[in-house]
Amino acid sequence: MNILIVEDARDQRLMLSIVLKKQGHQVLEAENGIKALEILQEYQDVRIIISDWMMPGMDGLELLRQTRKTDLGRYIYFILLTGNADHEAVVEGMNDGADDFLAKPVNFDELAARLKAGIRIIELEKQLEQQNKQLIEAIQTVEKDLESAAKAQEVLLAQPTTIQHVAFDWFFKPSKILGGDMFGYQAIDGETLGFYQLDVAGHGIPSALFSFTLNNILSETSGRGSIIKETLDHEPFYKVRAPEKVLASLNRRFQVTPESMLYFTIAYGLINSRTGQVTLSQAGHPKPLWIHREKAYVEPVAGGGVPIGMMPDMEYTSCTLQFRPGDRLFLYSDGVTECENAESEQFGETRLLQCLQDTLNDDLKSVIDQVEKNVRDWSELDRFDDDVTYLLLEWKP
Amino acid sequence: MAFENHEEGHFTVVRIDESRLDASVAEVFKTYVFDLIEEGRSNIVVDLAEVRFMDSTGLSVLVAGLKKLSGNGSFSLACAQPAVRDLFDLTSMDKLFKLHGSVAEAVKGS
Repeated sequence: MNILIVEDARDQRLMLSIVLKKQGHQVLEAENGIKALEILQEYQDVRIIISDWMMPGMDGLELLRQTRKTDLGRYIYFILLTGNADHEAVVEGMNDGADDFLAKPVNFDELAARLKAGIRIIELEKQLEQQNKQLIEAIQTVEKDLESAAKAQEVLLAQPTTIQHVAFDWFFKPSKILGGDMFGYQAIDGETLGFYQLDVAGHGIPSALFSFTLNNILSETSGRGSIIKETLDHEPFYKVRAPEKVLASLNRRFQVTPESMLYFTIAYGLINSRTGQVTLSQAGHPKPLWIHREKAYVEPVAGGGVPIGMMPDMEYTSCTLQFRPGDRLFLYSDGVTECENAESEQFGETRLLQCLQDTLNDDLKSVIDQVEKNVRDWSELDRFDDDVTYLLLEWKP
Repeated sequence: MAFENHEEGHFTVVRIDESRLDASVAEVFKTYVFDLIEEGRSNIVVDLAEVRFMDSTGLSVLVAGLKKLSGNGSFSLACAQPAVRDLFDLTSMDKLFKLHGSVAEAVKGS
């Protein structure tokens, strides 16, 4: 063990040094506190200090305080030498972080025994330092992986765009690095667009992985495996599957066990870009909001439906909405309305409706931003407790 | 966590003395209910009178209990408060559970 002896009396310092070297220790010497601090900085392997109390320049107690105050990157075991068995001095030393005391004149057997105790502590400290280092490395690896996964998730998200006279924009903010919310939209054929927004129960990695899978399944428009488009043997060789059938089919595919309850709520719909007819089916998702621009009101579209994966053999229904040019549909996850303020009051559907009512004549991007602003102002926090996602589309033929 | 249960006839009434059934208590509640089912209680009524808020995780443990019984018994819910009732409406829970206005109604005929 590397030991630093701090003692102003040269003879005593030498004697201690010789005895400790005989016991097999590496020994460094300093004649006062200032010198000792320099040595501590320079020699990283010094782990034990045996220091006299009374010294000119910087005394033992001040050296002790400085040692504890300085970030040395390691724990130093500190033994103070006391001239007499002064009770108050011992209390003062202990309060300032001394590990042990030794009365002068030094009894060498006692010194050996006390050093042994110190070495035991230092060995434990070293083990802890090592384990800490491994933990930090492990956490860094996991965090890096999570960041890559979050980037992968971002890539999955469709960009704001206009497809066949239907404009789409959205907001997506996972509560942690990865979210269990997902959304998407795409052309299924020359006049039909499909869109969805879903929310996997829970957050974090399992929910996110599940949402990735669902995104894949719901964006697959070709081939026999497609859940949203059936292949036919005759003209036109395909049929766009009705939303309620898509949900029933998803429900057949994903059934949870009592042990792992990874289910999801979803609103899935089709819009005919030529006629403005919207077909919408829901499975336990917050009611999508139909924004009637011309008539200037916002209408929640009732749906119901058991969340997907909870129970086999569920049937789903869909409703049909006839859009007028300029009408919009707002799909969102419960993270929006269940966002709480400091008094644990939820943002709620009423405030969301009001916000959409107030932004009837704004463009899509402004509506997206205004909703975000209102929800953020409500929560007064930088982060959200739940994933917050919403999707806004407008029919503009 | 504050849960308790008592027998009423051949029903086991489980009371949740928590104002929130969410991710923070759901796992403990699940273990509590699963233990009851493993002990052989098969007619369970969950009394939700105190629960003011339930999230998706809370909902999932109720369904987990139902699934755990796998048809060998009954699992019903009583006294859902307005916010919880809204959630049950939104998620069509009436298709999965019998929803009762009171515990007395739930254990009627026992």
